[in-house]
Amino acid sequence: MAKVFVLGLDGVPHSFIERSVEKGILPHFRELLGEGSFRRMYSVIPTVSSVAWSTYMTGKNPGKHGIYGFIDRQPGSYEMYIPLATHMRGHTLWEILSQEGKSVVVINVPVTYPPRTVRGILISGFLATKIDKATYPKEVAAQLHRFGYRIDVDPWNARQGKMDDFVADLNTTLTKRFETAFYYMEKEDWDFFQLHVMETDRINHFLWDVTDHQEAFLAYYTKIDAYLGELRSKIDSDTTLIVLSDHGFCGIESEIDLNFWLSVNDYLLFRNPEGDSLNNIDRKSRAYSLPPGRLYVNDQPTGEEIRDKLLSLTDPETGRKIIKNVFRREELYEGEMAKIGPDLVAVPYDGFDLKASFQQKRSMAGRTPIVGMHTYDDAFIYIRQKDITREGPGIVDVMPTILALMDVPTPLDLDGSSCI
Amino acid sequence: MDGYVVWITGLPGSGKTALARELEPLLKERGQRCEILDGNEVRELISSELGFTAEDRKLHNQRVIHIAKLLARNGVGVIVSLISPYRETRAGARKELPNFVEVWTKCSLEVCEARDKKGLYKKARTGEISDLTGIQHPYQEPQQPEVVVDTEKESPLEGAKKVLKKLEKLGLIGAYSNSEEQAVKKRLEDLGYLG
Repeated sequence: MAKVFVLGLDGVPHSFIERSVEKGILPHFRELLGEGSFRRMYSVIPTVSSVAWSTYMTGKNPGKHGIYGFIDRQPGSYEMYIPLATHMRGHTLWEILSQEGKSVVVINVPVTYPPRTVRGILISGFLATKIDKATYPKEVAAQLHRFGYRIDVDPWNARQGKMDDFVADLNTTLTKRFETAFYYMEKEDWDFFQLHVMETDRINHFLWDVTDHQEAFLAYYTKIDAYLGELRSKIDSDTTLIVLSDHGFCGIESEIDLNFWLSVNDYLLFRNPEGDSLNNIDRKSRAYSLPPGRLYVNDQPTGEEIRDKLLSLTDPETGRKIIKNVFRREELYEGEMAKIGPDLVAVPYDGFDLKASFQQKRSMAGRTPIVGMHTYDDAFIYIRQKDITREGPGIVDVMPTILALMDVPTPLDLDGSSCI
Repeated sequence: MDGYVVWITGLPGSGKTALARELEPLLKERGQRCEILDGNEVRELISSELGFTAEDRKLHNQRVIHIAKLLARNGVGVIVSLISPYRETRAGARKELPNFVEVWTKCSLEVCEARDKKGLYKKARTGEISDLTGIQHPYQEPQQPEVVVDTEKESPLEGAKKVLKKLEKLGLIGAYSNSEEQAVKKRLEDLGYLG
């Protein structure tokens, strides 16, 4: 029977794998590339892990699954909420497989908290807070405690410049993650297994192209590569191995605060200079932004005006254009949840990370300890022993691909299609 | 935005009040506005003239439904703890109330009688009272409650957590406690995802 193992490497670029394999840094990856097909893949807009993995696991665009970012606003109000599995519409890949009688193990995929019921095991990932609340069935939590399993690394270390602590945390978390996965690979009788590595995104955010820590950075990827080799040796010939990322990465040249730009252009007014929540927006405002690049406007003419101005926005220091494209909602989203989506989404050129502060800032452009940002068109997908027949697959196509591999009928309302 | 109504039904002594009392602080810790409408307490206040005939019970239940409706439509989470022995009454409550979550404190008559904290079963057996649900009055068990808490095996706290999880799954409450939500926001901020 066809089984599938998916390894998710959050935010690892196609170009980085290619480069690193060429340099001989990822020997196990190199061997794998000789055994299957490896393609550059496009992500979702906005290019954020919560949106990308929601699209992956539902096979649908955000207009159907309803997840548009790590924070969102309650429609018709200025209240914020954190989108979780309870907000996600539609059945996930593992729910559909469960309904078909397949057994699944899913570890650490973002937006799977709180855990929804599956035929097998689900361990929630980012943004689960406590192991005791993060597993289905709940008995799994006790085993995770015994392993010393960690849900996530603490980025606060990196924020404070304690990079050695940050790197140690990254390494331990990765070790625990793979040990846990290897344990359940052995113990459970599974048809579908997914292991997600979130830490690649974290290391990329804080150490991308940072010369001081190149050694730790490369050592970390070498460690992942070694695990990949171990994984390869544990997978039998009936199991298709898929490795993928949800978006690419590049260095940050400048963080651009769109709410600052909206405020100096008189679209946005803050009530209190000290405030820092969505509620700090004066009700007379005509537009505001949520990161990254999501824009909510009062009316269409204002939206069109903002769109035109953003397209000619330049970096005050270098004169470089900042915004590559501004999409209207209807160009990106389709489905019953499209109505809660942003009116516009600005997509920047690589290097400009779009922010949206609710505090009155002093300038539009700035820098923080975060050095890496997400990119849209440099994710990757690798499928062992299969030909990816289509050029330019998107993350939305992965679920139908997996269903095809496992010979499970594809629901009619999916937005992608199999790429094998 | 509408609130929700957790409607706890069960035999006298099955653990409805204990469950409600465990649930309330858990909801408040999540920043939920909530109120308990306990059958016995409310009866003294709004139905003191009523007895325990089938008609009087239905009328009392109707009054509780009405109060629950007023609260729930103003965004309050309402915990009703009421024997509510008739399926018809509960079906009516489900129809009338927004986000109705039926919780059955399942417990055998023998165990309820053995507990007999208020001495009601004893009074019924000696004929001192003549209208106790389970002895002289029927209790119609729920057919498809959202949550069953087996109070012979599960503690009130375990039951309350089970209800909480159901409310999360139904999207009626958030998945985080206040302190967890603060921690999550800090994490998002550290990663530059908040603003």
